[in-house]
Amino acid sequence: MAEQLRTETMTVNMGPHHPSTHGVCRLILTIDGENVVDCVPDIGFLHRAIEKICENRTYPQCIPLMDRFEYVTSMMCNWGFALATEKLTDLEVPERAEYLRVIMGELNRIASHLLCIGVTGLDLGALTPFLYTFREREDILDLFEMTCGQRLTYNYIRIGGVARDIPPEFYPKCRQFLDKIDAKCDDYEKVLTENPIWIARNKGVGILTEQLVLDYAVSGPSARASGVNFDIRKHDTYSIYDRFNFDVPVFHGCDSYDRYRARMAEIRQSARIVRQALDQMPEGEIRAKVSPKFKPKVGEVYSRVENSRGEMGFHIISDGTVKPYRVRARGGSYNHLLVTPEIVKGLKIADLVAIFASLDIIMPEIDR
Amino acid sequence: MDKLELAYWIGLLKDQVITPIFGDGAFGVLVQNVIVAFAVFGLLSLIALFLVWWERKISAHIQQRFGPMMTGWHGVLQTIADAVKLIQKEDITPKVADRAVFFWAPIICFACAFAAYVVIPWGDGLIVSDLNVGILYIIAITTFTIISLLMAGWGSNNKYALLGGMRSAAQAVSYEVPLALSILGVVMVSGSMSMQEIVKAQSGWGGFHWNIFFQPLGFFIYIIAATAEANRTPFDLPEAEQELIAGFNVEYSGMKFAMFFLAEFVNMFTVSAIATTVFLGGWNGPILPSWVWFLGKTLFMVFLFMMFRWTYPRLRVDQLMEFAWKVLLPLAFLNILYVGVVAKWLNW
Amino acid sequence: MVELVKEFASGIYNLVLGMFTTGKHLGRHAITIQYPKERWEVPERSRGMVVLLTDHETGELNCTACLLCMRACPSSAITIEVVKDENNKRVLTGFNLNYNICCFCGLCEESCNFAGIKLATKYEFPAWDKSELQWDIKKLQDMGMDVPYEKPERKKPAPKKPVEKKPAEEKPAAEPKAEAKPAAEAEQKPDDTPADKPADADKTEGEG
Repeated sequence: MAEQLRTETMTVNMGPHHPSTHGVCRLILTIDGENVVDCVPDIGFLHRAIEKICENRTYPQCIPLMDRFEYVTSMMCNWGFALATEKLTDLEVPERAEYLRVIMGELNRIASHLLCIGVTGLDLGALTPFLYTFREREDILDLFEMTCGQRLTYNYIRIGGVARDIPPEFYPKCRQFLDKIDAKCDDYEKVLTENPIWIARNKGVGILTEQLVLDYAVSGPSARASGVNFDIRKHDTYSIYDRFNFDVPVFHGCDSYDRYRARMAEIRQSARIVRQALDQMPEGEIRAKVSPKFKPKVGEVYSRVENSRGEMGFHIISDGTVKPYRVRARGGSYNHLLVTPEIVKGLKIADLVAIFASLDIIMPEIDR
Repeated sequence: MDKLELAYWIGLLKDQVITPIFGDGAFGVLVQNVIVAFAVFGLLSLIALFLVWWERKISAHIQQRFGPMMTGWHGVLQTIADAVKLIQKEDITPKVADRAVFFWAPIICFACAFAAYVVIPWGDGLIVSDLNVGILYIIAITTFTIISLLMAGWGSNNKYALLGGMRSAAQAVSYEVPLALSILGVVMVSGSMSMQEIVKAQSGWGGFHWNIFFQPLGFFIYIIAATAEANRTPFDLPEAEQELIAGFNVEYSGMKFAMFFLAEFVNMFTVSAIATTVFLGGWNGPILPSWVWFLGKTLFMVFLFMMFRWTYPRLRVDQLMEFAWKVLLPLAFLNILYVGVVAKWLNW
Repeated sequence: MVELVKEFASGIYNLVLGMFTTGKHLGRHAITIQYPKERWEVPERSRGMVVLLTDHETGELNCTACLLCMRACPSSAITIEVVKDENNKRVLTGFNLNYNICCFCGLCEESCNFAGIKLATKYEFPAWDKSELQWDIKKLQDMGMDVPYEKPERKKPAPKKPVEKKPAEEKPAAEPKAEAKPAAEAEQKPDDTPADKPADADKTEGEG
């Protein structure tokens, strides 16, 4: 009887145009019924050669390009690149600019985590939390537009400071947002966190062991949900993060559920940082004098920032001219995508979607 | 009979118009039946169109949006505009599809969704045909929907569609059982499978002798199984957008897609109507005419299903099966046991 | 068994709680707006359509054809045509902006010292064809007619005669870094734009 029931595996192209691949990722799945036997990610559909284009742009011109490197947290990309360049030049950044960077960066982190949580809900079929998180995300984007004029590609954090000071109406709006974000998080938690279906779909799914985290250099909230206490803001402090009082939420469940909870906890922590930064912010200059024909010293540098999806690093080689000789960007999502096949094998297609969402993989960061 | 009752006017129409013109012979009966069929079909189409609009509005307001606003008052005509658009669209059949199966799947789905209304009592005396096995007929005919989904999945010759079709078959087989068992409890109490009889059995207490008060567990099981039966979130696995893109109807376009779409809403109305009839006392209720009670209760049930859809995430396929066989089925047996013992004891 | 029932009950409770949360929103007002009918007020700094600004007194463009914006543009969307007239004065003859490749970064606005180019708050300029998105000087000027802007303190050097010298003698006033200019031609040496541009843009003081 068993011999007559011959079943065979089936190869399915998930993507590049699939609603749950967050951009244009193609996953070549070998499935046995509903079970994923093998998963091979195929990347490159969103390749824009940003690193190469940078070689033909002056340093200030690279910043708008970096907006496109990872468009969910453009502030961090601006910041990462600016930080690397400043390190190369030993450029001193005015103190107010540092505070503005922290405020914008943390607000951007909240926006990114809200997006991730909403999209995770969307991928699991809960359509409403997505709209709720987007509602709050819109508030942040309003703040950004008020300050720098754009909602997605900010081009705000520049080499040697920030582009413009914040307008006076920023303060009340930002405080208002910070006051309500905790209550709104409670709202999301009511719809998601304790929901038995949500728990069933996420708990114990996509176990990313600590060993895998170390092997694949997974970073960010995904690593911290697996018990790896590593946050660049704390452990390799850059900018002025040592002046703020905040916790790094670490969870030990290693599963999608804890990755979700880690993000939720980080939203609250980020709000805490922004509150402190708003209180402490000094007056003063917001930008060091940098000419459009800015030339760093000859040399190379690697500098990293803690992005919402992990370590974001920039390796710049300078030959002393106005243009970088080589720029290499590192985003966390690439490692997350690489580790995905390891953890989805044997699970269901629906789990793959959940894991993909919970690792917060977005494609522009991978393809660059 | 109360003049507010639709049945009164329909009887009047029959006596004053149809019988004098067409006689009461075989031809007259045929004409009568055709008119009734068209009337029910038209009414249901209207309801389906309304439900599509209503669902969009409810989802929009839950999500703090407006939803359709442009066509008519708050966009009430939006569904009609959409239907017109879908009819105009090119009807694409994939080259490698199994043409016959691909063609018939939406038609079967559509027809079966409407066929269930033969035995739904809309009001006092307002039923197309009061079959003495009414509830059994409904369970049988709604199962056909699943066959059409399987046909659509297979006929499309698409891997995602196939997965969707398979899921729908597995899901239907699993959830038919607790669904039927939960209704069985009511049948035991009312002693009949005729829908009218079931409603009449609940007419005590001034029209509030509803089965839900005596069998809350049965109602609970029914709601869950019915959600799965109507392929609604959290059990909308056959068409899980985020996993299988659109599942079984991924290859359909134009009018065929519209048929599936409308059938889904008609199905939702069907399961709500059954819930009303079986558990919520059907058209029983004081003061208001019976059809208003029926429609009100049914629309409330529909609203509940919509709230489910826009609140909950989707279950995974193995959890779905597990839930059906390991939780719902034992609960359904428990319910039958409870009804058997208590009903015998208290002699309801 | 007790555990099981407890778990079951808490599951049901949380499902109902979720329904209440979504139901609570059902009665709230929509936060979206009906776009074509009503429009959102765009913040004043919003970076939208790129336009050329006109001096309303003289009716001439503020642009001095210094080419700074063209050089600052990361995507080379700006093309400026300049000729030199008989007394060696730079005359702007063409200004083309290719919206197909413009990335709305705002570097051109920042580099301009004469309020010649600005990213206005207008955002509706769709086109049926890509070629319609290549705007020439006339279109850019027309679109910029109603855009409010602050006159910079530095006057446009155009009306008087020694145009060629003017930027050159202006430059020492605000140029802290001479070593950065290797062998650039004297008249197109860029002044230190970013340093003073934000400085007058934000006379803001915080409350926190």
